Amino acid sequence: METTNTKTISSRRMNRADVSWIFLGMVSAWTSLNPSLLAQEREAPTPSPVVLAAQQQRIESMRKASRATVAVYGTDGQGGGSGVCISADGYVLTNFHVSSPFGHRMRCGLNDGKMYESVVAGIDPTGDLAVLKMVGRDDFPVAEIGNSDEVRIGQWCFAAGNPFVLATNLQPTITYGLISGVRRYQYPSGTILEYSDCIQTDAAINPGNSGGPLFNMRGELIGINGRCSFEKRGRVNVGVGYAISIKQAMNFLWQLKSGRVVDHATLGFTVATDTNGKVTVSNILESSDAFRRGIHYGDEILKLGDREISTTNQLKNILGIYPDQWRIPIRYRNDDGIVDTFVRLQNLHLPSELEEIIKGESPQKGPPPQRKPGNPEIPPPDEKADSLKQNKVAKTDALADLYVEKRGYSNYYFNRFELDRILSLRSNQGNWTESSESWKISGEVPRENLTVEIMLSDTTLAFRMGDKSETVHPRQGWPQWIKQRSSIGLAMGMRIWQEWNRRGPRLMGDAIYLGRNPIVGREGLYDVTRITVSDFDVLVYTSPDTGLIEVIEIFSDNQTDPVELYFDKYEPIDGRASPKWIRLVYGLETQFLVSINSIQIQDGQGGKDL
Amino acid sequence: MNSFHQVIGSVFQGSTYLLLFVFASNCIRASDQARDPSTVINNEAVIATSQEKVVKLYGAGGVKGLESYQSGIIIDNSGHILTSWSTVLDVNKVRVVTFDGRRLDATVVGMDPQNELAVLKVDDAGLVGFDLTIASAATTGQRVFAISNLFGIAAGNESCSAQKGVIMATTPLTTRRGKIKSLYQGRVYVLDVMTNNPGASGGALVDLKGHLVGMIGKEIRDEQAGIWLNYALPMDVVKASVDRILSGTTSVQESSLKAVAQPHRPSDIGITLIPDVLAKTPPFVDQVREGSAALRCGLQTNDLILLLNDQRVDSRKSLEKMLSTINRADSFYLLVQRGQELIRIHVRP
Repeated sequence: METTNTKTISSRRMNRADVSWIFLGMVSAWTSLNPSLLAQEREAPTPSPVVLAAQQQRIESMRKASRATVAVYGTDGQGGGSGVCISADGYVLTNFHVSSPFGHRMRCGLNDGKMYESVVAGIDPTGDLAVLKMVGRDDFPVAEIGNSDEVRIGQWCFAAGNPFVLATNLQPTITYGLISGVRRYQYPSGTILEYSDCIQTDAAINPGNSGGPLFNMRGELIGINGRCSFEKRGRVNVGVGYAISIKQAMNFLWQLKSGRVVDHATLGFTVATDTNGKVTVSNILESSDAFRRGIHYGDEILKLGDREISTTNQLKNILGIYPDQWRIPIRYRNDDGIVDTFVRLQNLHLPSELEEIIKGESPQKGPPPQRKPGNPEIPPPDEKADSLKQNKVAKTDALADLYVEKRGYSNYYFNRFELDRILSLRSNQGNWTESSESWKISGEVPRENLTVEIMLSDTTLAFRMGDKSETVHPRQGWPQWIKQRSSIGLAMGMRIWQEWNRRGPRLMGDAIYLGRNPIVGREGLYDVTRITVSDFDVLVYTSPDTGLIEVIEIFSDNQTDPVELYFDKYEPIDGRASPKWIRLVYGLETQFLVSINSIQIQDGQGGKDL
Repeated sequence: MNSFHQVIGSVFQGSTYLLLFVFASNCIRASDQARDPSTVINNEAVIATSQEKVVKLYGAGGVKGLESYQSGIIIDNSGHILTSWSTVLDVNKVRVVTFDGRRLDATVVGMDPQNELAVLKVDDAGLVGFDLTIASAATTGQRVFAISNLFGIAAGNESCSAQKGVIMATTPLTTRRGKIKSLYQGRVYVLDVMTNNPGASGGALVDLKGHLVGMIGKEIRDEQAGIWLNYALPMDVVKASVDRILSGTTSVQESSLKAVAQPHRPSDIGITLIPDVLAKTPPFVDQVREGSAALRCGLQTNDLILLLNDQRVDSRKSLEKMLSTINRADSFYLLVQRGQELIRIHVRP
């Protein structure tokens, strides 16, 4: 049969169809017409178990990864991108540029063949991330989170997603490739959107893959695909795709779950490479936290976060993975030597700037990406839209409750939701809500052998330490004391602590859930709520597990160090969780450590305003 | 039969059957290796070692459509760097940035117009390169890694990009005139991966053991189909050029040139060159005088003079200097580039 084919072809000019026929001929000859060869195949040693095991593992990884891969569509079934589900209650990570054309509602498809109604939670226009929430299940398949710091050039990886909106049956497309580069920085192109510290891969990332997951070969999520180098070759993959590291995505996750428009950060100073190749501070704002931590013009920056700095690019790269308000470690060198400290990151944009960006990206601006018309393999859009509509009917109302419009938020519903979550944790700590407002807190500063007494009431805060005593108004006039780094900050912090537990943050002022931030000297991330009380701002850091207050920071303005209270060793007093130790800190310097002996609630005197 | 068009056709239209073959051959290889633990391949180590032998090059360009950067391969331990011969090299010193971020200056040792490659040299920087004496021919179906600074993604001490690929075909790059633009017409490895991007040319193609098997070529696009070809020059082609260049047959030390009493001058031959406005103005023919020797021998306006008596002419100045060593009575050979053709011209006075 092969011979016949060959003869036919040699008699005229070969064309492409012939090539295919030769191939088919060869395959059929190989498989059916040549039993001797087949017999040889059977006798040949079976593939090594190592190879088969590796293959089986690859198949399993891809199967597992596919389950959590999401196809993102508009509510009309149009447009499309990708995403990945990261929690059983249906939170999906995707790109901001995928979600933004759809407004606040979209539909997410999983490879179980079902479409789920979804709303946007938070967005990060600078880092090109968005978090969506699917509804309808509490057991969504979840991607296993990997460690993007361990990703190395030369490792294999695979992307899953919806390239060219091919996933009409909601089965993701898998593309396989090599890690081509790590810690890449991609400059903003035309917009503020920048990719820092990202992963470069030659696994095909095409339009529609945006927002989808990049996995390592264990099927662990290492990045969110989002961008490609194209230049003059049109919008198809040319062997260079970029994924936002999962580390960055996880740093921003709770910020995004807050339903806010999330911002990136600046250090308050810029750097340049000097003639000796050192990265030095070239400009610094005297109002910045960095300046107050002792960083000055000309100081050499050695380390930021957990990474050594040897170029200005690296500094920029690392900074991009952190949300604003985070305090991250920094190591610098000045004339006196090397200093290790922490710097509080400042917001990169004004809220008005972010609003402009979102307006620019709003659905009115242009139609969302369309599937290519005229491709016969893809059903016409109408069919799809109809099937989606049928699916939609029952769930419409449920979704309406999940969206609240508010300025500065992509979806205010989620901010309320997260604050409720934090407050619901308080119920395990004993009931403070019915206590009166008049408290007498007694303790001592063991190191200096001083007694401490704090009197809280609705008319005054009184503070006595040793033979010094001060009083202050219970709700205002605090900034002047904070600027002086006064010890009465302890009474202010305890007032906030009292009010948080008695009345809750919503009655204290304008309360906003910010997300999760680290705490200096403690492991992990903590829920952060910002409360704007009369003339000052408060940040309350609570444990995500217990809801207990870990740190309270009270800011007089953004040019002075706040007063910080660190709470430690909660013990029940009268069935209510009370801190045993409180540390008062200004600008990372501990003023004193108080051991709390008693919290007396004086019945009958307070609670009138409740 | 083996035209560029068909190669492309097989890449894009018949990819199914090619891929099947490729997978089949890979499976066999993988199982062979798995049996012997000592040959288990560590991609990370192979790529990391290879990346240290690939450099980022910066030179002339930056105007629309012409990148001012490309890649280069360190080919020995004495500072020689192999790269594509391109406009990037039209500077006095080519800036070399090594894997560890060192910035070095390189001079062009020589170039081979036929194979479109050049060899640069940096002085005494302790660079460690590939060993070209290791024979490393690749075969169709073989897996390879491409290491280059495509799109100029890496800067300073950042690593060049790594891509995986398979050699799909080994075939002459026979080009039809006017269809695609390439001076090089020899054998190439056609790759299944998008290697030949801006900045990638001069990058390394290595096998799974980290041996250099080819050099990534310049960007080539089929003007009619709009398709870009991904290919590399095989090592035997590259090595022949490198040997020629390093043995000095393609270049000459200008300082050692001795002017003769009655030399050739461009104006006497009958050509005007474009004005000498750059550090290294390429010797383009601006005008050919009526009735001149140049016209008679076939020189034309816009010809770019590449070689004089098989020695490299890198600028208008060097052309004038080299001409000044040839007696007015003697004939000489020029190699000129006219559009995408190389033409050898015998200039008789």
